[in-house]
Amino acid sequence: MVEGEEELIRTSVSEVLGEQEAVRESLIPILLRVQEKLSYLPPLAMELIAGALQIPAVDVFGLATFYNQFRLHPPGKYQLQVCMGTACYMVGGKIALDCFERRLGINEGETTPDREFSLERVACVGCCTLAPVVVVNEEVEGRVTPTRVDGILIAFGKKIQPSTGVGEKKGDDGS
Amino acid sequence: MSKQVSISIDGRTITAPEGEKLLWVALENGIYIPNLCAMKEKSHPSGSCRLCYVQVEGRAEPVTSCTLPVTEGLSVQTRSPQVDRLVKSAFELLLSNHRLGCGRCPRRKTCELLKMAKERGLKMKLFHLEPLEWPVEIDDSPKTFAFDRSRCLLCGRCVWICQEVAKVGALGFTGRGIDRRVGTFQELSLAESPCTECGLCIDPCPSGALYFKESK
Amino acid sequence: MTVETPYQERYRKLKDSAAAGEEALSRQAVIQVGMATCGIAAGAVPVKEAFVRFIEEKNIDARVMEVGCMGHCYAEPLAIISKPGFPALCYGYLDEDLVERLVEDYLLNDDPCYEFALVALEPNDVFPTLSDFPRGVHEKKIVLEHCGFIDPGEIDHYISRGGYSALAEALSGTPATVLEQVKESHLRGRGGAGFPAGLKWEAAVQAGGGTKYVICNADEGDPGAFMDRSILESCPHQVIEGMLLCAYAIGAEKGYLYIRAEYPLAVKRVRLALEQAREKGLLGSSILGSSFNCDLEVFRGSGAFVCGESSALVRSMEGKMGIPATRPPRLAQSGFRGRPTVLNNVKTFAYIPPIINRGVDWFRSIGTEKNPGTAVFSLVGKVAHTGLVEVPMGTTLRELIYDVGEGVANDKAFKAAQIGGPSGGCLPEAAIDIPIDFDSLQEAGAIMGSGGLVVLDEDDCMVAIARYFLEFTQQESCGKCTFCRLGTKHMLDLLTAITEGRGEPEDLEVLERLAWEVKEGSLCNLGATAPNPILTTLRYFRDEYEAHINEKRCPALMCSELIVYYIEPSKCSKLCSVCVGSCPTEAIYTRDDGLKAIDQDKCTKCDNCLKTCPPDYNAVIKLSPPGLLAEKEGGKGA
Repeated sequence: MVEGEEELIRTSVSEVLGEQEAVRESLIPILLRVQEKLSYLPPLAMELIAGALQIPAVDVFGLATFYNQFRLHPPGKYQLQVCMGTACYMVGGKIALDCFERRLGINEGETTPDREFSLERVACVGCCTLAPVVVVNEEVEGRVTPTRVDGILIAFGKKIQPSTGVGEKKGDDGS
Repeated sequence: MSKQVSISIDGRTITAPEGEKLLWVALENGIYIPNLCAMKEKSHPSGSCRLCYVQVEGRAEPVTSCTLPVTEGLSVQTRSPQVDRLVKSAFELLLSNHRLGCGRCPRRKTCELLKMAKERGLKMKLFHLEPLEWPVEIDDSPKTFAFDRSRCLLCGRCVWICQEVAKVGALGFTGRGIDRRVGTFQELSLAESPCTECGLCIDPCPSGALYFKESK
Repeated sequence: MTVETPYQERYRKLKDSAAAGEEALSRQAVIQVGMATCGIAAGAVPVKEAFVRFIEEKNIDARVMEVGCMGHCYAEPLAIISKPGFPALCYGYLDEDLVERLVEDYLLNDDPCYEFALVALEPNDVFPTLSDFPRGVHEKKIVLEHCGFIDPGEIDHYISRGGYSALAEALSGTPATVLEQVKESHLRGRGGAGFPAGLKWEAAVQAGGGTKYVICNADEGDPGAFMDRSILESCPHQVIEGMLLCAYAIGAEKGYLYIRAEYPLAVKRVRLALEQAREKGLLGSSILGSSFNCDLEVFRGSGAFVCGESSALVRSMEGKMGIPATRPPRLAQSGFRGRPTVLNNVKTFAYIPPIINRGVDWFRSIGTEKNPGTAVFSLVGKVAHTGLVEVPMGTTLRELIYDVGEGVANDKAFKAAQIGGPSGGCLPEAAIDIPIDFDSLQEAGAIMGSGGLVVLDEDDCMVAIARYFLEFTQQESCGKCTFCRLGTKHMLDLLTAITEGRGEPEDLEVLERLAWEVKEGSLCNLGATAPNPILTTLRYFRDEYEAHINEKRCPALMCSELIVYYIEPSKCSKLCSVCVGSCPTEAIYTRDDGLKAIDQDKCTKCDNCLKTCPPDYNAVIKLSPPGLLAEKEGGKGA
């Protein structure tokens, strides 16, 4: 843990707990708010929340691993979410995802070692008429062809070099 | 004391308290219905294992007996071609995700799967499905018992005991879908978890996932 | 002459003041820019900014307004320009240049630039209106009536068009009257299964007194469906009013809108709408001065498709995993916090105010006898005019696709209509003359679902689409019950093997048997409907499965393991090397004769070369089975 991080986690959690009633029903709103502040759910945060709500920590962890929205590891600076809705999939969503994987040298669900980019697939974001769609830091980009993939990455300062395939699996251990 | 009603199971007339779930009425009267996830103490049946199907007179589709309250005149058959088909299918699905090798399993004498196989004439092998391969993962960190996840059927009995009876809360369900498992906070070993080694979860386990070390 | 009740009087004052505000503005030109998520994604923000900038620069008396989605998504970004003295006109495919021209020529100089207009929104002598197009003939807007025409952030826009009058009217009568009207309307819930809304409400009434809850299910999770999002983003007040009417009818004082986390804009707009309704006395305690108290709030979902299932949704609101519970009890008896709860879909609630306002007979005159009202679809995929459409029940799928959607895009051949998302099915050409209603679709093997309609063409592989949906349901299965957790996994594995050319002839039998067993044995509807995409594709497109298994061939040339890319030397040109530059893996090289060829070992089948090869050549083709390559290369290695 980086210096000051524990302090940040403790303050963030207590701030959120101050806004919400400490009951089981508030668990999802609390987790969403804590994640908004910390960008992910560190173990310490989950333990603090479990303590405040007087529920087993494994229940908080269970919820965090059940719902798609929750992250257990810090995301990259640029979050790329490739939509895998039906319309997107049928017109090249998978191809766009492959391209990102190839260019970034990571697989979906992972973050680049320099913590610049993280790549996820998302269920339909409801912009089917612009398929295939990629959500970049909450902004929707429509009609993402393989060349557009390069365009998006270059715009964020990624140097594009021809490569031969998907890079070896890089860890996403969040340490 | 609730009202007693008269029902029929496989042609046998049985008196039971109204509203009691059929599964318990049958089992308490010595009539076997396959089951894994059912626990009589639980206020709301889990209904997750999908093994306790029975055929109710007047209904086309089989019904899970753990959710079926008995009412006056209820008439059921524990077997029918449809019931057998569903039970066989659920059984094979569970088996495809269960590490076989019964000869060396510490629970071979009390295994619910073996019992089911014997009662319903099912084989402990896969006919249509490929086994789902997972790495064998045994947590033997507790002093007295061990947890072999590759034999876990996700019936949830241990989770309920740990949370509601022992009030410890070391075990819980984590993940979703095919990744759902009985786990601990951060998937730590049981020794690192709040587990007190009370051992209450061991006997209810139907499949040899949780077992006392000396019994091995 | 009926006497106005105090609530109606209070409402009339709200309406008069809202109308006065609107009236004052009708003397200037108004530009309404479509700013729902889809519009914004298509570039509506710079378009709106351009309007504002040019109007300011040229000192024009005009106002730019944000509205929601009017449904013509294919032409986004869209704007409606209403200038006094002209019919309101809708313009599509906007960009900054076009905006500058419209401001200059139309707003400043009275030339409406008809060449860029899509349609006029009111009858006139010069430009066609919606009813002059096939789409307009079929469309009948009830829940989408105001979508795209009002600012969702301005409650007065809704009120001045009669919004909340149904609430005022209901408060003047009794809760029983509202319930009776909803029952009599025969409105069926629009969440998918089509259960009569009135009966659900009645069950909650019969569950006795005490605390009750109303929940709006806006956890729209079907891939390919975005109706609920658009409605909440475009006209949130209609849904809020519908919920209040339900709360009044069943005696609830608290309600929630469960909105999925992927819809941040909908959450924002609904929260703003709730705030405004509270300020006007339309929400909270003693609504419109009556003794009826009801407050609503937003609950953000956190991403689990299974939470669309009502008992799972309630569990998730209670801070638990979204896992369906066994029945009985039903939610109407014991739902949120163990209390009677009515849970309906966004669209179901949106129908209530119009039903109360215009009456049961009017509603039942639309659609069919057993399926009154309209069906709202998001029409997407390979259809020419994608968008959000609303047609009377009983319209045929063919009319919807060919008249409303203007047919298949890019002159391709129609293959199937995927309806109802992962719980639905794929219907072939031969089955699209069926009327759209809950029962007919179910009979054909699909379901109405929440209303996603994806058109598939000749380039879409039906095995791949079945695999796609199974991958989805497998990932979204909560994992509780045996059939769904393990059954979907095995079905997915079988389909993956088939699409990768590893399928065996007996796999089809295993797949079909397993599909039926999962359908019958699963605990909830997610599992029970998960096999539908397999069962319908097996029923209507079995030959495609057989081609994959027996010939290792993908007839639609889609499954990447079963195709190779090839450059036809007879079509390729020495003068062009677009494909070489487009290839991300340097798999394309220039042959000694100057033509291009693909090094199959390096090719990742990304499709870039095929997309970039100029239409004059169209030299890049796909071959399946891959063995055809040897033939093409002149027997080399054959």
